Amino acid sequence: MDLFLGVDVGSVTTKFVLMDREKRILASCYLRTSGDPIAALKEGLRYIEHRMPQGGVIRGVGTTGSARHLAGVIVGADIVKNEITAHAIAAITRVPDVRTVFEIGGQDSKLIIIRNGVVEDFAMNTVCAAGTGSFLEHQAVRLNVPIEEFGKLALQARQSVRIAGRCTVFAESDMIHKQQLGFGKAEIVKGLCEALVRNFINNLASGREIEDPIVFQGGVAANQGMVQAFRDFFGGKKRIIVPPEHGVMGAWGAAILAMEYAPQETAFQGFSVVERNFKSQSFICTDCPNTCEIVVLKEDDRVKALWGSRCGKWTPETATVRFEEEGETLSSLASYPECSTERCAMHG
Amino acid sequence: MRATFPHLLHLDVALGILYPSLGIEIVPPPPITQKTIEIGVKFAPQNACFPLKVTLGNFIEAIERGADTIFMVGGVGPCRFGYYGQIQRIILEDLGYRVQFVLLDHPRYGVRSFLSALRAMTGGRLFLPEIVRVARLSFAVLRFTEELEAHRRALRCQVKDPQELDRVIDGTIEALRRVKTLRELEALKTSTLEKLDALPRNGRKDFLKVGIVGEVYIAQETRVNFNVEKLLGDLGVYVHNSVSTVEYILHTFRPLTRSREKLEAWELAKPYLKRFVGGEGIDSVGSTIRYAREGFDGVVHLYPFTCMPEIVAKGVLQAVSRDFDLPVLHLAIDEHSGEAGLVTRVEAFVDVLERRKQEKKRGLKRNGSLSRS
Repeated sequence: MDLFLGVDVGSVTTKFVLMDREKRILASCYLRTSGDPIAALKEGLRYIEHRMPQGGVIRGVGTTGSARHLAGVIVGADIVKNEITAHAIAAITRVPDVRTVFEIGGQDSKLIIIRNGVVEDFAMNTVCAAGTGSFLEHQAVRLNVPIEEFGKLALQARQSVRIAGRCTVFAESDMIHKQQLGFGKAEIVKGLCEALVRNFINNLASGREIEDPIVFQGGVAANQGMVQAFRDFFGGKKRIIVPPEHGVMGAWGAAILAMEYAPQETAFQGFSVVERNFKSQSFICTDCPNTCEIVVLKEDDRVKALWGSRCGKWTPETATVRFEEEGETLSSLASYPECSTERCAMHG
Repeated sequence: MRATFPHLLHLDVALGILYPSLGIEIVPPPPITQKTIEIGVKFAPQNACFPLKVTLGNFIEAIERGADTIFMVGGVGPCRFGYYGQIQRIILEDLGYRVQFVLLDHPRYGVRSFLSALRAMTGGRLFLPEIVRVARLSFAVLRFTEELEAHRRALRCQVKDPQELDRVIDGTIEALRRVKTLRELEALKTSTLEKLDALPRNGRKDFLKVGIVGEVYIAQETRVNFNVEKLLGDLGVYVHNSVSTVEYILHTFRPLTRSREKLEAWELAKPYLKRFVGGEGIDSVGSTIRYAREGFDGVVHLYPFTCMPEIVAKGVLQAVSRDFDLPVLHLAIDEHSGEAGLVTRVEAFVDVLERRKQEKKRGLKRNGSLSRS
């Protein structure tokens, strides 16, 4: 049986989908990236390996998400695609007459306009966390509500309270103010969901016509409070569909793309990669004032791939030579860079 | 006097020919790097637009290298650029740098100050024939650097080895710094074009075509706009950039000089935008229409975050995009822009254009078969 693997490594979560030629999902998983995409990749591969059907063979692999290139090198991808294309393909497969996709993930949100099964326009918020899952999670921690209960709690509210949602910092102070005025947790949670919806529409939909059916996907689509807030925003007039596989749409899209573009011979490295020893490191190149942060993926002591070199002088070959000359002193940092926004309280 | 000036792509190559011939010693700022940006961001007002910050970084880095005079152009208009020089002068004063600031404004805002600035910028020898000769040479050099970049954008998706393309073009730009006469320039042009013609091609013909419009600094300066044109080229896209410093200069000093390109763009923009909104607002609209007419597949609109003229253009471009069925990707750039998000959006945009092109082809085939039956 021919199977296809889709991998979506996001900033907050990592998703895997195992799919057959009929685009049916045979297995999927949704894991926390926890700042360590390599560990998350290995965990996901182990999970999928245990669910491989008898006689199944991986014929193609697609990766997407912010760590798509890293994932592509480790797993061995036939296609590495951006999240917008991957999410759109999955939405079109699930709901062929879809006209709008809302995707809210951990650290970014996307609006995709689709006409006649083709992406026509998109908008993506990457600047600020207000309007993403991290925003809700942050506030859930403040309110001491488990994020899984958050949506249900919002549905219990009898009235809502308006919270300024443009910026997470302002939202937080406004929320405290509303708590002090005596509003209950449920009302505040509902207010937060509505603030996030307003934020999403204001930031991404500006000037774009939102037509239904709308497919709402991404981790935040699991939040019933958010689904209800979107329904209320459109006055119940637009059809909003939350597909059952909403959490893994990006990975599913990557698997579909892998099937469409798969070469004769897949680049898949096999499930044995979980046994191999990968390490992601970074160092600051100080050869010029650009001070590029070079991210290096090593297998044992061999440099397998490398990113971030603006002038192009750093390649796996030159980095290997440099590492040998200077030992491990170059590896000053070990984390994968995610955010450079310094004035933002959430990121800073 | 040791003079310096802001960077704008290869402007330093042309000015490096002009000034020494006028007897003015120059200290060009070091190339724009992350450090330049950090310095500019540190000392500029937070709400100032990105080009002000980067050019301020240029000045400070040049002063640290010994510059004592700054040449800058000014302006009057809705765009904040007109104030750059004044603000930067005050910031440098506050920081304790003792430099002379020479601001060249359009003569219509004062012939006397224009002439005195010009005199300072030409070492006091305003009307010597030698100056005319050198000015013509520098301008021709500037024009040629722009032609080279146009070749780079057009050829990146067509050659087998893009790195070899970069080596040829970067090599010629370095050689241009040593050019002394128009004859030498012509010889260099001929040999470079031969080299470019000789580069092995990959045989692709059905590439996507994308035009770049936007604000004069951000749309051109590849060291601050994350080199969007290279990114597009590496994705197999033919790129054309409508923004040019040569045309900008010709247009700024109208009616003494005129830019045919710009006037044409303004004419095209008229059904959508008649009024001057500052900066390159009208040009962005007009050039987008021109790209639509020339059959381009998409347009990338590049501008500094909070740039008023380009925000006006952005609103107008939504109507243009709809009427001409031409997708436009708007990218606002500042020091907080993240490369990862920008790359994702550019890649997704290219996917959109690719799928649209395939759909159109399929649609044409379908219509074709219908008409036959």
